[in-house]
Amino acid sequence: MALVTYVQHNGERHEVDVPVGDSVMQGAINNMIDGIVAECGGGLACATCHCYVDEAWAAKVGAPSTTEDEMLEAAASERKPTSRLSCQINVTDELSGLVVYLPETQF
Amino acid sequence: MATTQPAAGQSNIPPHVPPELVFKLGITESAEFLADPHKYMAGLHATHPPIVYSYSDHNPSAWQLLKYEDAYFVLRHPEIFTAEGSGPFPRDPDDYWKIIPLEIEPPEHRKYRALVDPLVSPKAVLALEVGIRKLANELIDKFIGKGSCEFAKEFGRPLPVGVFLDIMALPRDMMDEFVRWAMGLLHAQDRAVAGQVMGEVTAYLNKVIAEKRAEPDDGLVSAIVNGRPGGEEMSARETFGFLFFVWIAGLDTVFATLNHIFVWLAQNPDRRQEIIDTPDNINNIVEELLRVFTVTFSGRTLRQDFELRGVKMKKGDKITSILPSCNFDPEIFPNPTEVNFHRPRKPVLTFAGGAHSCLGAHLARMEVKICLQEFLRRIPNFKIKPGAKIEYWPGGVVGPKDVPLVW
Repeated sequence: MALVTYVQHNGERHEVDVPVGDSVMQGAINNMIDGIVAECGGGLACATCHCYVDEAWAAKVGAPSTTEDEMLEAAASERKPTSRLSCQINVTDELSGLVVYLPETQF
Repeated sequence: MATTQPAAGQSNIPPHVPPELVFKLGITESAEFLADPHKYMAGLHATHPPIVYSYSDHNPSAWQLLKYEDAYFVLRHPEIFTAEGSGPFPRDPDDYWKIIPLEIEPPEHRKYRALVDPLVSPKAVLALEVGIRKLANELIDKFIGKGSCEFAKEFGRPLPVGVFLDIMALPRDMMDEFVRWAMGLLHAQDRAVAGQVMGEVTAYLNKVIAEKRAEPDDGLVSAIVNGRPGGEEMSARETFGFLFFVWIAGLDTVFATLNHIFVWLAQNPDRRQEIIDTPDNINNIVEELLRVFTVTFSGRTLRQDFELRGVKMKKGDKITSILPSCNFDPEIFPNPTEVNFHRPRKPVLTFAGGAHSCLGAHLARMEVKICLQEFLRRIPNFKIKPGAKIEYWPGGVVGPKDVPLVW
């Protein structure tokens, strides 16, 4: 398990233990956290699991792949330097404590 | 054009529909459509307004959406546009069952999807790769030596049905029966035939429900019939509606998609070579082929009066997203009919979108990928049998009837 904090657009914080190996998207869906839609179910095909990685964690989480980078252009909310699709961030022990901010809307 | 004459005087057009938006689009039955369905649906952007009201001889009249953004809006707003009642299958009004999860809306919808999502997630589908590749090669073994095949019957049909039977944990020897049932329900264009087949399917699925209750396994049928959405037991009708929908959805769409793709490959040797020469680009290749060979439509009903792109619609109106046209929207995909394996990736509408986004999308992608890789590896050069003409099925899944290949 790794602790992931999801911060909703309205400031509401959810701290969740996510199994290592699951994606940050799955951690949100499995805990009924609004703000992540993930309508394609984690296939890098819909751009509705957009999140902003906390700047302190950005380097550890890393940069998006080329395909993810292109899909992020299709995200509904503003793209920022630490934007990622949360289905593409796999939770590891090193990421315990990760904080992600959720956008105003996913579509 | 014969198929686009304004329908002034058509008795079934509601009074709130402006006459200039009324057309007989002819999807999916006009001669013009059937001559080349994707060319026709791509061409609509140049010949028609973005939202039209179309009537037909067989289907209920409905608003038709051609624009990508409009379709996405409709698909993502179930509180305005409901999928309830949208299934085109014969059902007894006195023993009505919902097509699940399609005809259940959020938030209830998630409880049902949660039962089956784990079995078709990208990760779960990855575990099927070896088996799918094996099946593809077994099918190719049967015809590679004779220098020809009827692709639709010998590969396009058995591959997805075989994969599906495996996922459902149903016996492979049901393949021929499943194929016959799918044809009867989706392509017979005859209510008597559809009704007869529906009876046979009902009997079979009810037998399977009983069997998988008695002996649960890790297949998809078992997950449905033993599933408890939100912790509550499903009624017999719910269980049937869920199983029926997953069953029918798995039978025809990948079949039609593969058939389109292999007609195109047979006619475009240089593009075939491009795919062979760029193995690392396979995911983009699959996505682009899924964009240009989209095979289905998505129907909804308005829950309230609503104005979309300046068009005033009324509660109770039917509305259909012409997903193949949406994927040819030049505003979203410049030069849309060009098959370009290096387009920047964007979400395609092939699998619809919103909460009801196709459950089997990742499986479909995997199947198309493996079929391209294995078929082209073993039979890199082929063409359409000389003299053969490709004809298309009318109906809710757009696809070629026969795909005779020679090499």
